[in-house]
Amino acid sequence: MKQFRSMAYPYVAWITVLVVLPMLLIIAYAFTVEGTAFFQGQFTLSNFARFFSDAVFLQVLLRSLRVAILTTIVCLLLGYPAAYAIARAGAGGTLLILIITLPTWINMLVRTYAWVGILQDGGLLNSLLGLLGIGPIQMMYTDFAVVLGMVYNFLPFMILEIHTSLSKMDPSFLEAASDLGANRTQAFLRVTLPMSVPGIISGITLVFLPAVSSFFIPKLLGGGQYVLIGNVIESQFLTSGNWSFGSALSLIMAIIIMLSMFLTRRLDRNRGIET
Amino acid sequence: MKKCMSAALSAALLLGLLSGCGGPGTEFDGTNTTSGSSDTLKIYNWGEYTGENLIQNFEEEYDCHVIMEYFDSNEMMYTKLSAGDSYDVLIPSDYMIERLIKEDYLQPLDKEVITNIDLLSDDCRGLDYDPENTYSIPYFWGSVGIVYNKTNVSPDDLAREGWNILADTKYAGRLYLYDSERDSFMMALKALGYSMNTQDEDEINAAYEWLCGIDETMQPVYVTDEIIDNMINGIKDIGIVYSGDAAYILSENPDMGYYCPEQGTNIWSDAMVIPKNASNPELANLFINYVLTYDASMDNTETVGYTSSNAEVMADAYGAGGVYEDNEAYIPRAGYEKDEVFRDNEVLRQKLSELWIKVKAR
Amino acid sequence: MKKKLRPTRVVLAAVIAFFYIPIVYTVVFSFNESRSLTHFSGFSLRWYERMFSSATTMNAIWMTFLVAILATVLSTIIGTITVIGLSKCSRPLRSAVGMINDLPIMNPDIVTAIGLLMFFATMEVSKGFLTLLLAHVAFCTPYVMLSITPRLRTLDPNLADAALDLGANPWQALWHAIIPQLMPGIVSGALIAFTMSFDDFVISYFVTGNGVQNISILVYTMSKRINPSINAISTLVIVIITAALVLLNVIPIIRDRAAARRKKEETA
Repeated sequence: MKQFRSMAYPYVAWITVLVVLPMLLIIAYAFTVEGTAFFQGQFTLSNFARFFSDAVFLQVLLRSLRVAILTTIVCLLLGYPAAYAIARAGAGGTLLILIITLPTWINMLVRTYAWVGILQDGGLLNSLLGLLGIGPIQMMYTDFAVVLGMVYNFLPFMILEIHTSLSKMDPSFLEAASDLGANRTQAFLRVTLPMSVPGIISGITLVFLPAVSSFFIPKLLGGGQYVLIGNVIESQFLTSGNWSFGSALSLIMAIIIMLSMFLTRRLDRNRGIET
Repeated sequence: MKKCMSAALSAALLLGLLSGCGGPGTEFDGTNTTSGSSDTLKIYNWGEYTGENLIQNFEEEYDCHVIMEYFDSNEMMYTKLSAGDSYDVLIPSDYMIERLIKEDYLQPLDKEVITNIDLLSDDCRGLDYDPENTYSIPYFWGSVGIVYNKTNVSPDDLAREGWNILADTKYAGRLYLYDSERDSFMMALKALGYSMNTQDEDEINAAYEWLCGIDETMQPVYVTDEIIDNMINGIKDIGIVYSGDAAYILSENPDMGYYCPEQGTNIWSDAMVIPKNASNPELANLFINYVLTYDASMDNTETVGYTSSNAEVMADAYGAGGVYEDNEAYIPRAGYEKDEVFRDNEVLRQKLSELWIKVKAR
Repeated sequence: MKKKLRPTRVVLAAVIAFFYIPIVYTVVFSFNESRSLTHFSGFSLRWYERMFSSATTMNAIWMTFLVAILATVLSTIIGTITVIGLSKCSRPLRSAVGMINDLPIMNPDIVTAIGLLMFFATMEVSKGFLTLLLAHVAFCTPYVMLSITPRLRTLDPNLADAALDLGANPWQALWHAIIPQLMPGIVSGALIAFTMSFDDFVISYFVTGNGVQNISILVYTMSKRINPSINAISTLVIVIITAALVLLNVIPIIRDRAAARRKKEETA
């Protein structure tokens, strides 16, 4: 099947032009002095020095990682059972997948504004709680609102990815397991779960990576005081016009995340050998 | 499943192919770049910033086609402009115009065409960034001030404390600040009695401490445009707002008032300019002249709520029977010595942006 | 057993409810009389009138669908081909492509956007529909590949060989043995690509030009003065997509029934 190998080459050329080259431009910005014309930019490390000069940037990065990890965990806990139920639903599965995906085709901004209306003091949820004699509870501008907004936005991806690896799983594996005397929990832990690990990893990638750098959800649901690394980077480009520092920040973030992803995949690979 | 998917895919392909042959609308012109032809005008403006009928009327009167694109911050506009995108008319703010002039992005306006320049209000003519109006004609202008709930905030406190009411713990947890380093440092510097264009390290640090103090004791929420809806609904009692938005808030919620502290504030303006790479400068000059007319300016100000640069429109909108009759936010305070206009300063810009992140993220 | 209330089904039902609460909210407020998105003051169709009378808005809706469909089809095809090809490549190349693929997913949109903007500026490409489409395919393809790869890894490596043994040529083996096995991954990849393209604001904003705009650009730049016309746009999108999905699912059924009837008539 060697002839298939050549099928990958056009894409390698494609990403070189459309991903690697633009990324090199960003790297170049990160190492040049702001305000100088781009191609005669002076080399500098000051943009990185700035990051480490004040603990605040590191705190922001850590907070972003914390929120993203929390979001990923919640997505996993909700997404796995949901995907499992869809995979077990048989013919209705396709329809269920479409039902899950449809909300993501409404503009993210509009969906997030809807959550503002729901969560706000005097909003829908608080009015409902009020009828029950509870509250009002301050929900906007809290961790709860931000994580809720993120879970809402990214959960469909987790479900899709896990469903992919669960669907069409050969039922004979499970039968074999039960023939061998495994109960349902054992069958799940020994057969179903290990087989869905690649899907889980993809799901985690698809939730965690964009969650770290998201800026709109924290801005709207967390308020301006809820500063995440995505907001800082965005503001460097869009309000302060400080591309060099913005580039350096995104580079630092990329390196940290790449490292953690690399380790996760290591883990996945090792486990793949075990099972 | 497979059948369903291949059906979906082929349907999608078909749709794609069909669409290549032209859209459902008759004037679908997304793919052909008509920007070179003489009857197209490309305007790059803030979102929701033009009168309801202005563009249509202009198109009819001058038999041309207008392409509108929108931006959300001056820096977004600058980014696209500096990447070589060509527009005929831009409507950036004061300090950005100063920068564009400095960096040689603009062409002088044709005063032979723009005869309506005489209609400009004296208050927004010849501002610091362009003293002779060589490059720019103001579009909207205004101030920055405090919108407050008249039933919950005492006017005496406001008059006595000015910007310092934001640090008055009596109102803790009840205020919105505007999430912008420029506006936040403006009010901090003004509260401390300094110039908002200061480059003095000590003054800037004092302003930083002032903002940190508010962040610590007042539980402020930093918002941007959501403030408009939130103040109309009276969710909090105090908010930092641009006068144009304030005029709209006041017209929707009569409980709200607008106050410009005596310590001084920012008098801003957004003005029409023509970049050097414009492909249709003749039409651009005609458009600028058209916007200055009474009808067009009135349409603009009625729809958007910002203060018109046309003196007569301004007076009529504020006067008896006008849309903003006696609306205290509509007419900006003019000629007050402590009020200032933002100047462009790159070093300051970076410094403030970093400090602002620190204020919010601590 | 079928009727049993399994906990997983409860979670699924709860998740679906969670997904649709804001959607219902959006639809309801599209009929709001006032500009507010939080206080419903009365029923009105004014935001729909405004939407349908605005050529810019209708063009943007049209453009969004066009770009999303084309980008989905192209990136799904490119992604599928590449994943299969890569599986036969050396591990260093594979992991290098994997790492690079993560970049557009991980980078804040603004970084990808500025990179592409400067890239197009350096190439002196005139911005518009083509650059927009190109950018969308570029950031959608990694999502497609990410969805297909796990599926490929669980694939029996002997599958293709078996097909070859049965006398199929490699391309037949690819089309009849491998692709069907990858289908669930391809479908979810395509769905995610469609979402990404449909929803993108930041990248689209900086790579487009000459008046070519999508819904996100419009919604974002309109949000200065939030008003229910963005809800009206969303509601229209829901209606269009639901109609398309219903049609896609109903047409094959009708066709099958018609074919069955014809068969019956022929045999009778």
